[in-house]
Amino acid sequence: MKPNFIQKVTNWGNFPVVEKEMKSEDSFKKIKEFVLNHNEVIARGNGRCYGDASLGEHIFSTKKLNKFISFDRLNGIIECESGVLLSDVLEITVQQGYFLYVTPGTKFISVGGAIASDVHGKNHHSEGCFSEYVIEFKLMTENGEIITCSRESNAEKFWATVGGMGLTGIILTAKFKLKNIDSAYIRQESIKAENLDEIFRLFDESESWTYTVAWIDCLQKGKNIGRSILMRGEHAFQHELPQSMANSPLRLKKKFQPTVPFYFPGFVLNALTVKIFNLLYYKKQSKKEVKSFIDYETYFYPLDFVNDWNKIYGKSGFIQYQMVIPKESGKEGMKKILETIANSGNGSFLAVLKLFGKDNPQAYNSFPMEGYTLALDFKVNSKLKKLVEQLDNIVQEFGGRIYLTKDSMSKSSLTNYLKNIQSPKFVSLQHKRIINNN
Amino acid sequence: MIVLGSTSEVAQAFVEKALQEGEKYEKIYLFTSSRETTERFARHIDVKFLQQSEVIELDLMKEIDYTRFENVSSNLLFCATGYLGDGTEEGLYDNKNTERIININYSKLVPVMNYFAQKFESRRSGTIIGLSSVAGDRGRQSNFIYGSAKAAFTAYLSGLRNYLFDKKVHVLTIKPGFMETKMTEGLPLNPKLTAKPKQAAAVIYNAYKKQKNVAYVLPIWGIIMMIIRNIPEFIFKKLKL
Repeated sequence: MKPNFIQKVTNWGNFPVVEKEMKSEDSFKKIKEFVLNHNEVIARGNGRCYGDASLGEHIFSTKKLNKFISFDRLNGIIECESGVLLSDVLEITVQQGYFLYVTPGTKFISVGGAIASDVHGKNHHSEGCFSEYVIEFKLMTENGEIITCSRESNAEKFWATVGGMGLTGIILTAKFKLKNIDSAYIRQESIKAENLDEIFRLFDESESWTYTVAWIDCLQKGKNIGRSILMRGEHAFQHELPQSMANSPLRLKKKFQPTVPFYFPGFVLNALTVKIFNLLYYKKQSKKEVKSFIDYETYFYPLDFVNDWNKIYGKSGFIQYQMVIPKESGKEGMKKILETIANSGNGSFLAVLKLFGKDNPQAYNSFPMEGYTLALDFKVNSKLKKLVEQLDNIVQEFGGRIYLTKDSMSKSSLTNYLKNIQSPKFVSLQHKRIINNN
Repeated sequence: MIVLGSTSEVAQAFVEKALQEGEKYEKIYLFTSSRETTERFARHIDVKFLQQSEVIELDLMKEIDYTRFENVSSNLLFCATGYLGDGTEEGLYDNKNTERIININYSKLVPVMNYFAQKFESRRSGTIIGLSSVAGDRGRQSNFIYGSAKAAFTAYLSGLRNYLFDKKVHVLTIKPGFMETKMTEGLPLNPKLTAKPKQAAAVIYNAYKKQKNVAYVLPIWGIIMMIIRNIPEFIFKKLKL
């Protein structure tokens, strides 16, 4: 048996699937050899991005770069290799009273991926993107050189790399700041909104909250358009907690974690089942407003509770469509988007709405800009391409953009916003697709 | 804990598993032929578990200076040393390959194991865990050089277990089967028959706690190898296994 590194690779959306070379090394010397001996290299972390961003001709998997380097427990500064997952970080730090400043909706992404995507969370309006808290990282450039990038040294590379989708090199290690927490729980208020006007008003009113996000029923039409539930939260202090949680405020009990055993057949998810799911979800909360304390895992990572949930969408896979529309025209744009989706009958099982705060102009490759962002899941089917085209046109009309981390079929004029990344060495399928469409 | 073959992903996963389970060691001695990689692991467990460790270089292909190991003392030895080398198709008549496989998996390894076994014997306590292989259960044409070295190692562990039994030292033989590690990266392995290092570590830890003698990482391998062992030789020799 001779090793063969050509294999089927796909990301979390199971679309597209490619057969390419994928290799993983843990010694920097061998990584250098890999970089020097190949053209068109792209790094891949845990494959939790949805589309084709981390796929390429020669994929370097960082999964063996999975070691911690240091943890300054006094100042909350941690350094680790780029393949370490956010879940690994939390496993150590939460017990010590530290949490990630910025986390996306899954904790199963790598630290390298968090930087390359410059991920955002429910607190973008108050605390910005992941890059705000990155002190420095080591990057392997196209000639195999390892450079340390920070705001002070190699600053140009630092800013091109955050949100740069891996096109500037391979991130090897990273050092970043953590925030103090008093407990592993979140004080949450969830409020029902009848329609778009109400949810936008709630977002504005909730600006002083650290975390805000809304689940939205994207199949509603007419006066119910934008029916949703806003969930706002703060890290709870120990003294606020009910007794059962206050006893050991930084430790969560182990929970049973179910796994989706196989790809669901195609007919399971359709407009009707999505409609029923959304109705039940909305009706589950009977009161207008509910206040509660919930653990951080349930608040931040509700989907991580089920392993391999992506299989629910069947073998053909799904895409996640996340766009942002500038604030001035946000309401109008969102209304148009939601109308288009409702009319298409292509329901989204999970639709999340969020108000982004001001962007950091230095992090010019990052996705967020001040405005409204909506993330939607769509099963891949014959009608999808047309829907994406329609949605893309609306986003373009309002001057918005598409999140590259989740993109696999949006038009290039919306997705070509990266700057200072030209390198013939580091090329992803996504980048090729975007360039060739131009 | 003493770890031989510390760059092995299974060994590292086992160390993490034990520490996660709340085991405490005065020191973990990490023997390795690759200092850089192992030092990274040492820092990792220090960050993660505040566990002290020491990296000690050990290259089985070189002369071994035992005086360096005098202060190494523990109640648990985990041996994950191994070398797959080229299979028989590519490497049967390559003497360098053959020697390396035999040395690392058996002939050079056993004296090192013996050195520590003696310490365990004199303390009259402890556990020795050895990673052998299902390849040692029966010689097959595809990799019988590796298989024969592992067969010898399995026999060694079995004898050692017998010898140390009334000296209160337990010996556990692990037969991993396919595993998703550096050793097998890029090989077309059936995912149903392949264990992840973390999964293997959990099984090994469990077998260690239950004082088992021999354990397969995936139960299916016990069945597969039972069948393979029991095929009559006159049929077996005609098979392409």
